[in-house]
Order: sequence, then structure tokens, then C-alpha cells
Amino acid sequence: MLDKAIIVAHGYLGDEKYQIRRLVLKTEIAHQAQPGQFVHLQVAGGIDPLLRRPLSIADIDKERQEFTLLYRLKGHGTQVLAKTKVGESLNLMGPLGRGFSLPAQGELVLVAGGIGVFPLLPLAKEALEHKLKVSLYWGGAEAGFFASAGLEYWQKTGIPIRFSTMDGSMGSKGDVFELLQKDFAQNKFAPANPPAVAVCGPHPMMEKVSDYFLRLGARVEVSLEERMACAVGACLGCVCTLKDESTGKLRRGKVCQEGPVFKGEEVLWDYGQ
Amino acid sequence: MGSEKKVNMEVRLGPLTLRNPVLTCSGTYGFGEEYAFYCPVDKLGGITLKGLTPEPRLGNPPPRLAETPAGLLNSVGLENPGLEEFCQSYLPKVRQLPTTVIANIAGFSLQDFEIMAGAFQAGCGVHALEINISCPNVKQGGMHFGTHPDSAEEVIALVKAKTNLPVIAKLSPNVTDIVEIAKAVQRGGADIISLINTVLGMKIDVEKQKPALANLVGGLSGPAIRPVAVRMVWQVAQAVNLPIIGMGGILTWEDAVEFMLAGAKAVSIGTGNFINPLAPLEILEGLEEYCQRHGYASVEEIVGLALPKKEGQGS
Repeated sequence: MLDKAIIVAHGYLGDEKYQIRRLVLKTEIAHQAQPGQFVHLQVAGGIDPLLRRPLSIADIDKERQEFTLLYRLKGHGTQVLAKTKVGESLNLMGPLGRGFSLPAQGELVLVAGGIGVFPLLPLAKEALEHKLKVSLYWGGAEAGFFASAGLEYWQKTGIPIRFSTMDGSMGSKGDVFELLQKDFAQNKFAPANPPAVAVCGPHPMMEKVSDYFLRLGARVEVSLEERMACAVGACLGCVCTLKDESTGKLRRGKVCQEGPVFKGEEVLWDYGQ
Repeated sequence: MGSEKKVNMEVRLGPLTLRNPVLTCSGTYGFGEEYAFYCPVDKLGGITLKGLTPEPRLGNPPPRLAETPAGLLNSVGLENPGLEEFCQSYLPKVRQLPTTVIANIAGFSLQDFEIMAGAFQAGCGVHALEINISCPNVKQGGMHFGTHPDSAEEVIALVKAKTNLPVIAKLSPNVTDIVEIAKAVQRGGADIISLINTVLGMKIDVEKQKPALANLVGGLSGPAIRPVAVRMVWQVAQAVNLPIIGMGGILTWEDAVEFMLAGAKAVSIGTGNFINPLAPLEILEGLEEYCQRHGYASVEEIVGLALPKKEGQGS
């Protein structure tokens, strides 16, 4: 739907140096939102920037009709968005896209690279409501990053979290994929009952993690990101390449409409060519 | 507004009559279903389908989009399901759309255009054919046909011979003289002219030090190109006797009026849909109010009002 949402909170999430902001919006859309879906936000009324910005839903509060968006100040669009204040309204489309799916039972392993953790929190909460066993593997540049990227919200869920940092200042030194490999080599899951895995992060990281778990027989879902214009599947701007599981034939998938969440085995990782 | 007379919003573009002059552009409206949730198509003058080719095409790799000041560069590269799949999987739904449907056809050879035109006839579920001789995002063909008067005329004549649907020639702005091309498609037998397609452009990522689009260059759309489009509509309107569908960066009713005053009988909304899915409806309302305010009984009365008066013409 198309709606005007009221800003109820907007500011830095933690240390300003990480440039991550938290935006809480009040709108009916919160009622329909599913984990992994996104909204398409008009950051300014005029033509600068021209296009809306897709932002994944980072928390959903159905009772208060609120949801949270987390974003990193990066380009012009987020700079303009950052100027909006509590009490103002923002025009948005949503909730859009196909989100994550929950396994019927068993274990859910979440794997996040950096701010790729944002769309995973609503999934973790829903999985816990469904009595699933949930854990998070989260890679970041350094120890200070996590607190500025929503660590407190994750700690409230009580799920086990395994960290990796590139500089070794927190958790395991190296990237999150190395940490996973170490953990799962030691604690192999039962082949009869493989976990479901949900991954979000930089595409090369998602490719490695997805391939690894697929080889282990897990059910893998990845959340892709691509520049978008329409966000409803009309313009074909945000495509990825998918391979048909049975025929192996290649086709384009619309990240906005068929995704952003795809099955790990159907994605052809041809980014950054 | 209740007491004021209703404006007749119907427009006649040669053999094609539209219930109102607001259309949506090819490549921005999918196959008519994608925006239905936001903008009921039965309110629109019509919609134009995504460009179709005889064979399915994967199109260009991503990134396909780059934002520029007041503009959008795209290089989709004519991704489409191909004629056969379109007829099987999409046409049955398209046929049900409660509005005028224009199919957009593209090709890489004269034979391609022949095949495409032959596949669409009156009663098939679409009401007119827009001939894309202006796509900037494919390596060969496409725009080639639209940048040379002789080949533009040849393609249109060929298409006209193969279909009994109204034929719309979509012109490229990437030419030295748009008037020359417009005259050529008129000679070829086009019923209607639509313009402009996107303007060839480029963006370079200064940090990565390489082009922002995987295809290197792309087509620019959005308000940034509107003055170019208005100028070209104004020129073509004076040079040919064909009805014109004006497009290029229309976001508001004022923009639509500008095109109509420049000589367009209908307007088409493209990139504007991405910014505001309600844009076509708001533009339609604004157009009607404009006509009421100025006392026009029919929206057609404003077409070409900004053009120089021809000799011998009254007032």
C-alpha cells in the first residue's frame, strides 16, 4: 500500500562514527509486514533525489503499529533522509517483496555480514515465537561496530550470538565465514535434521556461506540487494540471475518482487563482473 | 467544481481513440498488472507494455540503474519473455485489462519487426503497436533504425504492411534532426508518433573509477530530459500531420499540459510512476481541472496552443 508514515524516532543508533541511524515509523503497514520484506521510501518531496529508497524492515511492533528501519549514511539519498525529524511524515510503499520463510521445526541459523544483520531481527523474533532454536553468526569490522548496529536488540532475544571481527577485537578473528567453517566442522548437525539458514550481507560473503551450507544439506535463504526504481516488478531495474533448479536454464529474477529473499541454490552469483 | 461543465477527456489519435490522454510508457509499467494495486488501469487512457522481441532476452547484467540529478539512467537491454511466451502466459491476462493496451515491439533486423508486427492484429487483445526504433541499450539494431531516415521509413512501412493495428513510431532523441526522422516515419505510413525515448547518457562512479552501469552507457529519463522532449514535440508537431504522444520526465499535470500545448494529443508517464505510483491519476485530475478553469469543453482544444499560428489561421 501507499501510506504516509509518521516519524516517531530518528537518530544515530550508537556511536556516530559508524553512521548508522534508526528510524521508527508509525503506519498501518506495520500490521502486514513480514520478516525480510522492505518499504520503498520517498526521502524528499521533490526531485532531489528523484527515486525512492528501498530499506529493509529491521523491527516490527504490530501492537503499536510501528516498524523500525536501520540505515547507514552512505550516499545523497540517506543524507537527505537523515534530515527528517520526529513528527514529520514520510511517503512510503510497502510492505514489499517476498521475505524469509520459517522452517516448520528444528534449528534456524542466521548469518550476517556487517549491517546485513538488519532484516534478520524480525525473523529471529518470529522464529522464537514458533519455538525454534535460533542462533546468530555476525561478522563486523571491529568490536565497536556491533553496539552501534543494534546489538542490544539482539541481546534482548536471548539467542546465542557468535561474533567475528576482522581485527580480532571481538569474537573470532577473521570473517564470519571462517568462523562458521570452524564451528560446523566441529559440531556437525545431524544429516537427518539439517538447520535452516538465513543469510544477509555482502554478496561474496553470501555466496560462500550459501554454498557451504547447501553442500551440508541445509535449506538456505539469502537476502539480495540491488538498486531499485519501481520496486513493484515493472521496470526490471533490480534483477539478479537465477538458475532453474531442474533445467539449469538461466533467467532474471526481480529482486523487488520475487525477492529480496531467494533460495540459495537458485542464485547465480554473477555480481561485480 | 460541481457546478462546472464536465470536460470531454476523450482524444482521437488518428485510428486510435483513447478515453483520456494519459498513458503509461513502455518499460515502466511491466505488462499492466504490476501497478494495478496502486493505480487502477481502467482510469487510464491506456498503458504501453514492456518492449517485446521475437526471441526471449535476458537483457543486460546488473547494475542496470544509476540515479543522476533529476534523472535516471537505465540499461535494461530489452529483457522480455519473447513473443511465444508472451502470447501464452501474458496475453490472456493483458486481454482482460479494462483499458487501451499498446504493445511495444522491438527487433534487431527487418525480419524481426516483420515477425512481431505480423503477430499482432485487430482483436488479438492489444489495440495498437508502438514500434521501438529507438532503444539505446542494445548493441545493434534498436536505435539504429530510428537514427537514419531511410531505415526508419523502411521499418514503419514494413510493419504497416504486416498489421492492421494502428502503428505508433517511437522516436529517439539521439539524432541530429528529429524532424527529419518524423517526416520519414510519416512517409512510411505511421499513424501516430510517440516521443521521446531516453537520451543516451553515462555516469561514472568516482570512487570505483569506472562506469556506474554494467552496460557502461544507458538511457536517461526523468525531469532532467523534459525540456529536450518538449522542444522535440514542439518541432515535430509543426513538421508532420500525425497525432503525437508526448513523453519525457512528466511528473505533474503542469508537465502534461506543457506537452499538450507543445502539440501532443496524449501524454505518457514513465519514470514518474516510480516516484509516485498515483502520478497518472493525479495528472488526469489536474488536466481536467485545468480545462475547466480555462473553459475548454474538450481536452483536445489545448493541443498545440503554444505553437506558432499558421498563416491564414484565425485569431
